[in-house]
Amino acid sequence: MTSHFFLLGSPLSVERLSWIEESLKFFFVKLNPENLLHHTKAPRDAVFTVFLTGDALYSVQEPQTLPLWEIILSMPSVKIVCDLKELELRGISIGRLKMKNPEQVIDQNSLALNGQPSFWKDVMKYARQHEQPVPSTVGYLQMESPYMNQSSHAALQFLTAGMEAHASVDLYTYLDGIHLGHIGQNPSECENIGRGLEDLHDRAQKKGLTFQMLACGRCAAARGYSTWDDGQGVVISTCTIKPVKIRNLQEITEQLMRSHIILAKDSASIQLKKEGQVSSFPLQDQGRSPPVTILVTHRPYGTEEAFGAISFAVACAYTGITTRVVFIEDGVYALLGEHKLEAGTHFFNLQEVIDAVAGSGNLQFFAFQPSLNQRGIVKNKKLNAVLDIGIPELGQLLFFSPNGVSASHQRVIFF
Amino acid sequence: MMTGTPAEIPDFSSLTCTNLMIRLKMLLKKALPHETVECIVRRDQRDTIDVPFSRTGYDVKIRKVDTNRYRVSLKKKEHGPET
Repeated sequence: MTSHFFLLGSPLSVERLSWIEESLKFFFVKLNPENLLHHTKAPRDAVFTVFLTGDALYSVQEPQTLPLWEIILSMPSVKIVCDLKELELRGISIGRLKMKNPEQVIDQNSLALNGQPSFWKDVMKYARQHEQPVPSTVGYLQMESPYMNQSSHAALQFLTAGMEAHASVDLYTYLDGIHLGHIGQNPSECENIGRGLEDLHDRAQKKGLTFQMLACGRCAAARGYSTWDDGQGVVISTCTIKPVKIRNLQEITEQLMRSHIILAKDSASIQLKKEGQVSSFPLQDQGRSPPVTILVTHRPYGTEEAFGAISFAVACAYTGITTRVVFIEDGVYALLGEHKLEAGTHFFNLQEVIDAVAGSGNLQFFAFQPSLNQRGIVKNKKLNAVLDIGIPELGQLLFFSPNGVSASHQRVIFF
Repeated sequence: MMTGTPAEIPDFSSLTCTNLMIRLKMLLKKALPHETVECIVRRDQRDTIDVPFSRTGYDVKIRKVDTNRYRVSLKKKEHGPET
């Protein structure tokens, strides 16, 4: 049974694949060396499965990333599952990787109800292995707009696969993901995402399942969706499709208190041992909710991702979920120098936000030192609540259960 | 923002609950131990502030000033916030 899996859809840089490779090495060498001994294991016994779709697939062919995949696949308990349709669409060949590792590189997907190969059916199989009995709900966090980004189709396909597997489905839309719920979408060259979501809603009702689509109130208001607030936090909008409910972010993060699998364009689900070692970064939370690790990978200010990540983390922590934020890759620029903001502006100084919320219960911040080193930058010394970490500590954060948390798995979300 | 006349009290009623929490934490971080941080909030925001801040070492005072408008005062307790 697969214990852990990554779902990757964005372009995979050498940097990202390197820290993933190093983390896996840490997992196998330091934590589970016995997994390195079974070279003849069948792929279904993989400990780690990496699902690749969209632009992440280029990494299996690119000369810079291919050697990293070869190192990763030298660990016998790892396999990768590729989205066949996306491989074919892009003309990507995985021949070299598959020839060397035929048992570990999968490019044939299961057949969906329509008889077509479905990568998302495979994702769903693994997502639903995490709980016994199988979970009744799966969720997806969508942060990109439709049409400009293919990820909205992925979200729809994931939810459809969930419903075909008789699971209720949740869609949480955040940042530009809000636009998935806009009324009156009429694309001429693409699948209509709005109509697809409405169809899914109807199918759920017919099957006796639920389809819950929650949109972040802050993001919706900023984008012109909120037209009326009844004074008790219920926001009504006339420009959304019927299934959409605009809610305070904390009402969305309350959904994360449940233990269902929640994926995003780039995300991971790490199974946690219920007994055994605990992280050396103890937190006070004693809950059973899956902890959340948020990886901030984008530069601040240029886009909303970095602030959106911290806001999401604050809401998770406030809800009572053990939440760790790791500034990694370009996300470390949030820690560079001393940010100064014009007085009176409505915008947030990200460093002030980090400094102010870092002492909150359930919430911890980390800076991935190799990302700082690679960019030749140092962290603002005033941000002493942001702890420096390397691969071993990142491994601990990913693979150890936080102190006092008895959840079955950890959610990892890339922002 | 820090203890002043009603005209100086910031109106945070348009903020979402998460951003309100962030704003207040930023103001409290800057406040001196004896200073009070005040703001105007909505009813649902009042509920968001009351318990978490009381629980983490702050004196919280809330007074209704108008329909769906509340004046909130936060001050660090003597022994400081537990966070």
